[in-house]
Amino acid sequence: MIGYIIVGISLMIDGILTNFLPYNVSSLSLFTPLTTLVSLIIVYPLYYHRNRDYYMMAFILGIIYDLFYTNLLFLNGFLFLLIALLYVKLYREIGDGIIRILINIVLCIVIYELLTAGIILVFNLVPITFSKVLYKIDHSLLFNLIYGEILYLILKLVPKKYYKAPIN
Amino acid sequence: MYKKKKERKKKIIIFISCIAIFLLLSLSVTLSRNYTFVESFFKDIATVCNKVFMYPFTTLTKEKEEDLSKSYVIQKNVNGALEKEIEELKKELDLNKTLTEYDTVTATVLSRNKSYWFNTLTIDKGKKEGIKKNMAVVTKNGFVGKITKVSYYSSEVKLITADDVNYKVSVGISTDSGDTYAIMNGYDKKSKLLTVTGVDKMSAVKVGDVITTSGLGGREPRGIHIGTVAKITNDKYNLSKNIYLETGQDFSNIHYLTVLREKSK
Repeated sequence: MIGYIIVGISLMIDGILTNFLPYNVSSLSLFTPLTTLVSLIIVYPLYYHRNRDYYMMAFILGIIYDLFYTNLLFLNGFLFLLIALLYVKLYREIGDGIIRILINIVLCIVIYELLTAGIILVFNLVPITFSKVLYKIDHSLLFNLIYGEILYLILKLVPKKYYKAPIN
Repeated sequence: MYKKKKERKKKIIIFISCIAIFLLLSLSVTLSRNYTFVESFFKDIATVCNKVFMYPFTTLTKEKEEDLSKSYVIQKNVNGALEKEIEELKKELDLNKTLTEYDTVTATVLSRNKSYWFNTLTIDKGKKEGIKKNMAVVTKNGFVGKITKVSYYSSEVKLITADDVNYKVSVGISTDSGDTYAIMNGYDKKSKLLTVTGVDKMSAVKVGDVITTSGLGGREPRGIHIGTVAKITNDKYNLSKNIYLETGQDFSNIHYLTVLREKSK
């Protein structure tokens, strides 16, 4: 339940910030939000050993995200599912901790942006270059790392009975 | 033997899943498609939720009132005498469509879409208000985009700054020696100016000339202000001119806009 609440609030924050911060090609703010994706990463310990639930949540969250914010149904559904699949592996390799969670967030954001750009490239939707993708990535890191760290610290306050895996 | 069979089965499932995902994605990202019935239904639910949730944030600004009074198109329509004159001229010139043929629907921007690469907005007006695909969208500063997808309660607007190879607008440039026509087909990220290519090299376009929609192709009404010429260069083969135009619209800060709806006859 706590996982759903965190993810739901992050989804709303994502929409609000996108509406009030510059979100145009070439004029992105350094505070470009990807809070939904970050929350998906942070809540994983709540679903440890319940990977199927986690994957299901990631897919449904992606679909809701598409319905609310992108109008490209299934695109983020699959991307979020893929990120969840990758993150489960990553979590086993890297684990979490105040610093390690930052590495996880950076890796997931980079993978997410590269996958999005890859899909756009494959379907030839928009002329896209590597420098444009890099611009999008570097403007997505600062705010999301801060947000991820805050969420991680908040999650540490959650009683241990809600966890299947301990937070270091 | 059993293990091999299981592995083969797994590979087949993965292969079929990949194909299914590819097909679904290709369907999903086709920019010109409209919503399916199911998609439209869920999109409308999402719109109602979004509207309720965004209400406190959209009422923070009083831009809506400003837009209603200052909108380029509305000002044109409000002036009765001008309208009468336009009617007479229409008869004289045998014109079918001018700006007086259009109603205006003022809409609130519900969300700036997170599909960063596509530069789209979701507004709170849809089929219910008679909005249709390809209708022109303006603000008080002029033309800003067109409707690309419509559901019952909401629509998607593609901005003219979108970096889409298939998104072109036919424009007219008012010069001292008459009107020149060209295609507006892009946005220069560095200078933050819209680009118009293929302008006749012999045309007397100069900095400060006004650019409006030409109405050619029948998608946008004729004469909607887009911007003014800010810079002129020659193309790389020196055969035509490339024009950069300034719009005066802050595309990062659009909260209300007006859709031009064709009047039903």
